[in-house]
Parts: sequence; structure tokens; C-alpha cells
Amino acid sequence: MTRRPLSLLGAVAALTLLPTPAHAHLVTTGLGPLYDGISHLFLSFEDLLPVLALALLAGLNGPKAGRLALFIAPAAWLLGGLAGFASGSPLLPGTVTAASFLVLGGLTAADWRLPSSGVSALAAALGLLHGWLNGASIAEAGREALGLVGIVGAAFVLVALLAAFVVWLRPPWTRIAVRVAGSWIAAIGLLLLGWGLRTPP
Amino acid sequence: MRRTLGVVLTAALSVVLARASYAHEVRPGFLELRETSPDTYSVLWKHPAGGEVQISIAPVFPEGCSFRTPDRQQMTPGAVIVRGTLRCEGGIGGKTITIAGLEATITDVLIRLHNADGRLESHLVRPTAPSVTLGGTTTTGQRVLAYLQLGVQHILLGVDHLLFVLGLLLIVQDRWMLLKTITSFTVAHSITLAVATLGYASAPLPPLNAAIALSILFLGPEIVRVWRGETSFTIRHPWVVAFAFGLLHGFGFASGLTNMGLPPAEIPLALLLFNVGVEIGQLFFVLLILALERAFRVLEIQWPRAIELFPGYAVGSLGAYWTIQRTLMLVGGLR
Repeated sequence: MTRRPLSLLGAVAALTLLPTPAHAHLVTTGLGPLYDGISHLFLSFEDLLPVLALALLAGLNGPKAGRLALFIAPAAWLLGGLAGFASGSPLLPGTVTAASFLVLGGLTAADWRLPSSGVSALAAALGLLHGWLNGASIAEAGREALGLVGIVGAAFVLVALLAAFVVWLRPPWTRIAVRVAGSWIAAIGLLLLGWGLRTPP
Repeated sequence: MRRTLGVVLTAALSVVLARASYAHEVRPGFLELRETSPDTYSVLWKHPAGGEVQISIAPVFPEGCSFRTPDRQQMTPGAVIVRGTLRCEGGIGGKTITIAGLEATITDVLIRLHNADGRLESHLVRPTAPSVTLGGTTTTGQRVLAYLQLGVQHILLGVDHLLFVLGLLLIVQDRWMLLKTITSFTVAHSITLAVATLGYASAPLPPLNAAIALSILFLGPEIVRVWRGETSFTIRHPWVVAFAFGLLHGFGFASGLTNMGLPPAEIPLALLLFNVGVEIGQLFFVLLILALERAFRVLEIQWPRAIELFPGYAVGSLGAYWTIQRTLMLVGGLR
């Protein structure tokens, strides 16, 4: 393992030690838990942006990476969600989601060539982390776990459409546009992190 | 082994889908208040009934309001209708009406207040916000949005309608035929939606729901024929089948409007916008399925056979499940 991934892991670990509790409340649409879950992903930018970043990153890494992200992230999200729902408490600091923004957005901006195992690990980490937070929040709010199916389904659709779109893009400038989008996501992560560190617990 | 996996997947996801779908239980309630003399209102409350799930909702009037005449109840095939005269000291303007029990449902209630000075107030009350404070006038834009919302919501929660459209997508072989089929389904359900909403014809809900389920079940074997490379009338002319069953589904869509007992002057606007809402929802669903199919090809996904067959099995098995369930309810209701 090179120094850079190590320092990245260190940063993620440091973030997880920050004491603010994480909250990601499920949206209420009035259309039932399934649609609440679907809407949650599209209306909660702390979950939406990392999914977009993962899809962009996977798309830049080609169809195989796209396939891995498509199946691993939602599966991990469901597993993490069920575990979080069973635990009923997030137990994670609020700034932890900023880590997904930073890592995934940063890798996309850098157009980092990742091996299959790297894409798989990132997709699994994203799914487990955000799934855990969602599941715990749903349990805390006394809502139905079916909402998780909505979130996972929406994540699957989003990753499929966006990763395929990036794979399909041909002109070289489009690749730059995708990297710019990744840099915005990383910048938002940096802002969130700064805000999280600044705000007293 | 593969076949077993397909059956298990179908069964598991069918349970989730069946659990998640409350087909036709999104029929809205309707509360109308008409100011007949100062501080006095005639009340009409239509509470959806006779569907697959019992909905327990009731209006809670503000303090200072009481019924001057005892409320009169009347049972109709799709609703319980309650009429009465309400007296509110100082008028009802600025006061809050709550629909008790709404938060536990996935349905809406349209509340309409006709003031004596001609002002019309209209609110769509939803489970997320089951109360409304009356006062002021509703703009045409707000009414337009409310009916559009109702239409989109009706199709998105009508999993049986979406499953029928999915079945058609699995049968249709090329884009031109897809356009023809979806258009004929749209034209057909628009016809019966208009006919039913305008009051020229109606279909009782229990047999209608069973027939809609049967239309989904009908597509199951046709999808299997497509997989086997066989042909049939439905595979050659899916637009004809879409049109025929579309007529049936239109009566189902109409249940979203007919229960409200809208005033005649309001019906054309409501009908048009509700239908546009339904079409927006349907178009979104069709485009989403086509985009996903394209995305899977770009990502070069080789689905295992069991997964490939899943959508077809889901259409057939859910169609069969609903047909049996709704027929049993129909038979039970006849006894």
C-alpha cells in the first residue's frame, strides 16, 4: 500500500473519531415507506452526492468498475441498513459522511485508475456506512424498515444510469467535465468537514 | 438450481412488491363546506370505502363548530357519504380542520369551502400534513397543481397499472411498436377515465379490480411465449391488447376522481389535469425502464438466466396473486 491511500485511511479514521452524532432523517412523502426511501436519497444531499461521486468514479474506470459499483454498493447499503436498523443508534459522528464526499469526489477529480478490488472496497464502504446511518435513523424515528428498500432501489437506479452515462461518453472534454463534477463534490465535503470541526458538539 | 433461484427471487420480491402496493387504496376523500347563511355551512363528507384496505379517517371540526342537524349517512358502492349542517360561531375562516387518521394512510383528502361571497377555497390535505387552516382564496395555479399531483400519485401508487405497462414493455419487440402500444393504452384509458368521471358509465370497484389483476396475469404467459420465440396475437399486435385492457384500467384511474363528487363546473379541469398527471407518471416509468435497459447494455451486464426471467415471472405471479385475492374478496362481498 502506498503512502497516499494510507494517509487517506488515516483521515477517514480521524473523522470517525469526531464526536457529533450523525442524523439522516427519512423524508416523509405520504406515499408510504417505499417512496419515502426513494425520495430520501434524492432529497438528502449527504447520501445523494457520494452515490453520484461513486457512479462518476466507476464510470471513469470503465464498464467493469461500473458493474462492481452497481451491485456492491446497494447490497452493502442494504446490509449496513439492516444492521443499523437492528442497532437502532447511529454511533457514528456527523462529519463521517464528509469523508465519503472527500474520498470519492477527490478520486473522481484526480481521475484515479482503480483496480477492481479498489472500486469494490469503496462501493462496499460507502454502502455499509451510509446504509448503517440510514437504518439507525429509520429505527430511531420508529419508521418501517421498508424505507431501506426504497433507498437501495434508488441508489441502484442512480448508479446504473450515471455510471453507464459516463462510460458511454466519448469526447475527451466530457471526461474533464466529469472530473470537475467530482471536484465540486470533494469541495462540498471539505466545507462540510470544516463546518463540522468548527461547530461545537 | 437456476430455476429455483428464479422462483425464490420472484417469491421474495413479489412479497415486497405486494406489501408495498396498496393498489386503488389511494382514492382520496372529499370534504365540502358550503356557506348557506352567515356562520352556517352545509357539509358533505365522502369517505372512500369498499376497497382492499379499510381506511379510517374523519374530519375534526374546530372548537365553536357544532352540527345543527344530525348528520345523515348513506352507503354508496365506493364511499360512505355523510351530510349535515354545521354552525360555526364567527365563521370558519381562520380556523383549522384536521382529518383524523389520515397520517396512517397513503390517501389524500380534498377540502373545498364555498364562501357566501363567491370565494372558493380548495386544499389537498395529505398524510404528512393532515390539517389545514381555512381563510383566503385558492388560486387556479394551486388547483391545477393539486389535480396534477393527484394524477401522478395515483399512477405511482397503482403498482398494478405499472406492472401492466412493464408487461407490455417485455412483449413489445421494437420501438415503433412500443410507441404504438403505449399510445393506444394511453388513448384507451383516457377514454374510459373521461366517460367514468363525466358520469356516463361506471364500473363497480371489486369486479373492476379483479379484472385489472386478470389483465396483468394475461400478460404473463405472453411474456413466456416471447422468451420461447413463439408468436401469438398479443405478440403480433400488442397495441390491440393494450387498447382493450386500457379501457379497463381507465375505469380504475377514474376511481381517483369519481369518489370526490366534484361539482360539474370543476370536472373538465380536474379530468384534464388528473389525466395529464397520470400520463406524466406513466411516461416517467416507461422512460426509466428504457434508460435502465440501455444502461445495463452499456455496462455489459450478463444477467444470470434466473434474473433475466425475473420481470416476466413478477408480472405473472403478482397478476395471479392479485387475481386470486381480489376474486376471493369479490366472492366474499357477494355473500
